[in-house]
Amino acid sequence: MASKDQLHVGIDLGTSRSAISASNGERFLVDSYVGWPVDMVAKKVLKRDVLIGHEAVANRTMLDLHRPLERGLLKEGSEKDVEAVRELLKHLLRLVGVGTNGRVSASNVRAVVGVPAASLRTNKQYLRNAMKGIVDSLLIVTEPFAVAYGLDALLHTLIIDIGAGTTDFCVMKGRYPTDEDQKTLTIAGDSVDTHLLKLIEERYPEANVTLYMVRDWKERYSFVGDAPSPVVVTAPVKGVPTELDITNEMRAACETLLPPVVETMLDLIARVEPEFQERVRNNIILSGGGGLIRNLAHALERALKSVGGGRVRYMEDPVFIGSDGGLALAIDAPEGDWEKLSA
Amino acid sequence: MTRVGRIERAKRRMIQEAVADNLDTIRGGPPRVLRPARRAGRLWLRRSALLLVPLTLAGSSYLVTNTSQSNAAPVLASPRVRASILALPAAEGTTTPNVERVTAAAFPLAVRRIVLDAGHGGVDPGAIAPELIEKNITLDIGRRLRMLLEARGFEVLVTRGDDRTVALRERAKLANESKSDIFVSIHVNAITKHTESRGVETYYLGPTNDQRLTELAAAENRVSGYSMADMRRLLDGVYADARRDESQQLATLVQKELHGTLRRSDAGLENWGVKRAPFIVLVATDMPAILAEVGCLSNEHDAAMLRSEEYRQKIADALSNGIESYARANTGP
Repeated sequence: MASKDQLHVGIDLGTSRSAISASNGERFLVDSYVGWPVDMVAKKVLKRDVLIGHEAVANRTMLDLHRPLERGLLKEGSEKDVEAVRELLKHLLRLVGVGTNGRVSASNVRAVVGVPAASLRTNKQYLRNAMKGIVDSLLIVTEPFAVAYGLDALLHTLIIDIGAGTTDFCVMKGRYPTDEDQKTLTIAGDSVDTHLLKLIEERYPEANVTLYMVRDWKERYSFVGDAPSPVVVTAPVKGVPTELDITNEMRAACETLLPPVVETMLDLIARVEPEFQERVRNNIILSGGGGLIRNLAHALERALKSVGGGRVRYMEDPVFIGSDGGLALAIDAPEGDWEKLSA
Repeated sequence: MTRVGRIERAKRRMIQEAVADNLDTIRGGPPRVLRPARRAGRLWLRRSALLLVPLTLAGSSYLVTNTSQSNAAPVLASPRVRASILALPAAEGTTTPNVERVTAAAFPLAVRRIVLDAGHGGVDPGAIAPELIEKNITLDIGRRLRMLLEARGFEVLVTRGDDRTVALRERAKLANESKSDIFVSIHVNAITKHTESRGVETYYLGPTNDQRLTELAAAENRVSGYSMADMRRLLDGVYADARRDESQQLATLVQKELHGTLRRSDAGLENWGVKRAPFIVLVATDMPAILAEVGCLSNEHDAAMLRSEEYRQKIADALSNGIESYARANTGP
């Protein structure tokens, strides 16, 4: 159990955003971008060796910008991306007080990190290697398991965690989930962004729109089904700021998530023992940034009607559910176990 | 025991299992779910493969001999069976005296059942041009092609007969479960960075280093419905010689007809040839499979041609001729 000298943290290392929750009560969300100044001029302007998160995105023209996680996993074979992940992790830990003003040293940090459900052993080993020296001990778990643990939703619950790179599913059966209990789809927030950008470019070929703008619009206005209100955004057309109605494009892009998510949800429910299926159907939890898509829970409930109905819950603060769950695990893990898991 | 007590006990057990799983990772052991029964099963499978090789080669040899010596009805082997036979790796130390490597062409095959896959549909529109949506064009060409093929005596199944969303996974499932002989997916290109480009191209499954093809495959794979684990499993089983060779042959014949027919209506149409790319419908199907990009919506001229029913009929004619050429080439005497 937690001792007062130790700092326990839960980290949701995401393709788009990473969240950290610490046992000292601190919680932060950071864009998963890391950038190094491209030359001496840029370094002089930025006055920093490395920029992370929103700052990196905002100054991207002067940076060698990296988004080091792909589909929730550390990109293999790229030393720069490994370095970027290390910088990102160090930054997250600094935010919660590690290594700053001598408050907590890295040798006193015990971390639980969530990874996509379908991660291979090699992916986990790779992450473990990247975290050497950054924390004292490391426990890697699947992201939906961390979510379920944090919510005490350990039995007859289906977690659907829609992130940027992956959509993770996990049926909790009162045990540590096996491969059969989990699924990972690569259709997630990023694929919605790409599709939305394509649709906007096709409808407004003269508009100057970037993926960053599209991502921002999606995070503010995403929906499926009936539009809560028209989605009108501003983008330059031949250099002139112009209002563009992207309501239909937003709907079409977000709804590309529905067929695979519904299919996987129904598939996993069908694999549950028949007598427990109804309980699972009524205990579906949406988490991750995708949980913020308006009407999504309702659309999934409509799909569940074909198998007898069900209830999909939308959690408040879905972006921190994973890191909070990781923190709960970190605090609950016995002292003896942490000693075996030195990073 | 109280409910709280039960939850705490369940949590403790889960943490123990999570820690054990991590320790396996640190030690480099196999995933817990594969131990120990499955590992034993896999060992048995590996060993049994060694036995299967000589048996299979003997069986293949028997089929070839019978076929070449007899005028009776040809021996039929489904592409799936043939692919699995031919894909078996030669085990180390196994000798195969007097047995030549068997090629796919050695097995007379009647192409009887064809799956036509009209790309995109429902919430997935595919490429868009003014008054044109890829999902509608592919559906229209698919309907025309179906009529042509049925008139030639083929049995035709379609992955979608109207404007609906069908996950790529479902499309492949239909083809596999119906034990179809070939799979033809119809798509229309859009190259927004080079709107002056117009051409036709046909794909079969294979890896590619071409960035444009990778992006194209990513776009067409969007509504796949496959998990990462599924993809690993699928990719483990692909690139087998026989199915790839047959798919390449089918792609070559279809591309030849496609470009040859359409350039009569459009002299400037470029022949972009036969290419390899990892489209999911091609990965997941068990039979020879191709994906034809029959036009280019990002090009104004091509879009204008695709608006014409007459031109779409020509596309269907060309695809039909290509498929029939393949069927003839792979049917015994």
